[in-house]
Amino acid sequence: MDIEFSQEDLAFQVKVQDFIKQNLPKGMEMWTKRAEWFQAMRDQGGWDIAKWPVEFGGPGFTPTQRYIFDMEMARNSTPPQIPFGVGMLAPILMNYGTKAQQDRFLPGIRDGSVNWCQGYSEPGAGSDLANLQTRAELSADGTYYTVNGQKTWTTLAHIAHWMFCLTRTQSTGVKQEGITFLLIPMNDPGVEIKPIITLGGSHSVNDVFLTDVKVPVDNRIGEEGKGWTYAKGLLIHERTGLAGIQNSVLGLAKARKNAMSVKVGAGTLMDVPAFRNKVGALEAELLALEFTELRSLASVASGGNPGPESSIMKLKGTEIQQRVSELNLEAAGIYAAAWGAAAGPDFARGATSAYLGTRATTIFGGASEVQKDVIAKNVLGLG
Amino acid sequence: MDLSYTEEQNLLRDSVKKFVDDHYDISQRNKISASDEGFSRAHWQQFADLGWLALPFDEDDGGIGGTPVDTMIMLEEFGKGLVLEPYLPTVIMFGGAINAAGNPQQRAELIPPIIDGSLIATFAYAEQQAHHDLNNVVTTAIRDGDNFLINGEKSLVLNAQSAGKILVSARTSGDSQDPHGISLFIVDAAADGLTRTDYPTVDGLRASEIKFTNVRVSDDQRLGPLDEGFGIIEKIANRAILALAAEAIGGMQTLYEDTVNYTKQRKQFDHPLSEFQVLKHRMTEMFMEHALAQSLCMKANMLETQGSSETQRTIHALKYLVGKASRFVGQNAVQLHGGMGMTEELRVAHYFKRLMVIDSQFGNTDHHLERFVA
Repeated sequence: MDIEFSQEDLAFQVKVQDFIKQNLPKGMEMWTKRAEWFQAMRDQGGWDIAKWPVEFGGPGFTPTQRYIFDMEMARNSTPPQIPFGVGMLAPILMNYGTKAQQDRFLPGIRDGSVNWCQGYSEPGAGSDLANLQTRAELSADGTYYTVNGQKTWTTLAHIAHWMFCLTRTQSTGVKQEGITFLLIPMNDPGVEIKPIITLGGSHSVNDVFLTDVKVPVDNRIGEEGKGWTYAKGLLIHERTGLAGIQNSVLGLAKARKNAMSVKVGAGTLMDVPAFRNKVGALEAELLALEFTELRSLASVASGGNPGPESSIMKLKGTEIQQRVSELNLEAAGIYAAAWGAAAGPDFARGATSAYLGTRATTIFGGASEVQKDVIAKNVLGLG
Repeated sequence: MDLSYTEEQNLLRDSVKKFVDDHYDISQRNKISASDEGFSRAHWQQFADLGWLALPFDEDDGGIGGTPVDTMIMLEEFGKGLVLEPYLPTVIMFGGAINAAGNPQQRAELIPPIIDGSLIATFAYAEQQAHHDLNNVVTTAIRDGDNFLINGEKSLVLNAQSAGKILVSARTSGDSQDPHGISLFIVDAAADGLTRTDYPTVDGLRASEIKFTNVRVSDDQRLGPLDEGFGIIEKIANRAILALAAEAIGGMQTLYEDTVNYTKQRKQFDHPLSEFQVLKHRMTEMFMEHALAQSLCMKANMLETQGSSETQRTIHALKYLVGKASRFVGQNAVQLHGGMGMTEELRVAHYFKRLMVIDSQFGNTDHHLERFVA
């Protein structure tokens, strides 16, 4: 066993750090200079598509390099990519799409000119996604599908040009076997979007109503009825990416800094044992979770599988995200109530909405209760 | 021992419950919350007509002479509907202070207009450097002949935009954290030198940041003895905690009941969610947390009614336990409602936010646990 990265990997880490130092937009430029940042990533030879295979223009990182790359990007809070196109649809197109579909959609995904959203969840299909009911009926001449139904919790549907969508083409037999994967243009007159306002008061998710939307068979990925298989691999991928460890490490450092700025008696909030112990407990758990991720990585890097311990990443990672946000809320003290108002310390203004927002992390991408069922079954062999 | 409610108390609970049922479904609440003052003057007048605003005041002052237990009964029902009217700042905090320390003239001038509904009032005590410590006061009141000049800033002053009078804590001697040296003043809300920034709070109520610049008050406007205001502040804080705890307990009840009903209706994997054991156990725990907090709330209010020496310690335990229970019940109500729990559309989110805010007021769980074990 060797706890250190190799010399080559350490050199790569320095390279990534130097790149970030030279190119990362500062302050408000984070928003205005996004395009320049992603161009610089492209110029490095596919850093903007770090997870794509070499044949599609990816940089060909080893698993360890990819880990280092992701960690440095998160540590430095680089501009995030909207994941739906680059991270979620692209791998499906590469694995199951035709050459024509790849040529048609991948360039727009890569250069960010085409926004995608994910049409999976429905009012009756949340944790039980395979229960989805949105119907797609093939026309008599076999050239197009007519789609009817409702999708919900559709993140950024209101700025998307396209939606990749799970639809039901067969309602008898095993639920998972009648599902078909379609690509639907959002400008179709049969697509109606209704915003859902979440408890932080913000709008990022939507209901999407589909009424007699005509989708050419050319927009079907793979075979009819196989959509579940295609989407399932992706869902596993989505879940492993949701632990947000580096964000929690950063968030905890911020919470500590915020707490040190809050005066309590003769000292600060960090001198209050109950608070300090919570910070310490989270730090210890994060160290363990980070190393758990490294164990999976080491296993994959040496050609193995991620290992059973990788299954806990989303479950534990999201719980930690919630607890970190709770610390900031406590540090905000009475100003937790004054969110958005010109009152109290600056950090308090974002603390409440962040706390409320992180409540969703144990619900989306597989609710924690369902995750535990999956682990109990697949890892522990319990029924 | 008799822990049953009296006939009068049952009638009070029924009438508050009826008001909440008739006037406080979530769409009605959202509408009132978005109105100019963030509460309904018509409801407030109704409170006056029903005698609710007179409840805790002495009969000698025109009140009903109700006990803390009576107030608890009312606030618990308010909590089930997330009532927005300024009962806490006007009746419990400002009214409570006058009741505890007002001289005959102050009582005669200020209690009747509270009881008849014409005076909204509030208490400006919180300061940024204080965190949750009530003795940490840097707003000053400096003597100037027969007057005092108040300078400083107060935070999160509830319903100040609607208030006619504001009770203000200020330092008249001692250093910033000395419990001795704090005095209380009854300030006219329209006084020269008082500027407000009003805003809606996370839970849909209203509060203000207030700046005092050479606000002149006469010695007649002082409440209680000079330099000895802290004892009064502690009394008001205890009554406020008892009221907030009762409200939180009402809110928690709505949350666990809503969660039970939702999981019975919501089907996934071909079964209602309520049939999954892990969720059944979670809801049972929500119910347990609520029941324990409710027990301690009853005990604390009975001790406060008796004037027992155990009251202070029990109130620390109560605020701790209510905060802990609120977090568990609130977070799990959202979790078990799934995505729906994250929306503004269902009332769950609104109750959760109110419970969070209650934990942040008058000391959070850690603050009170530390004092309980001290």
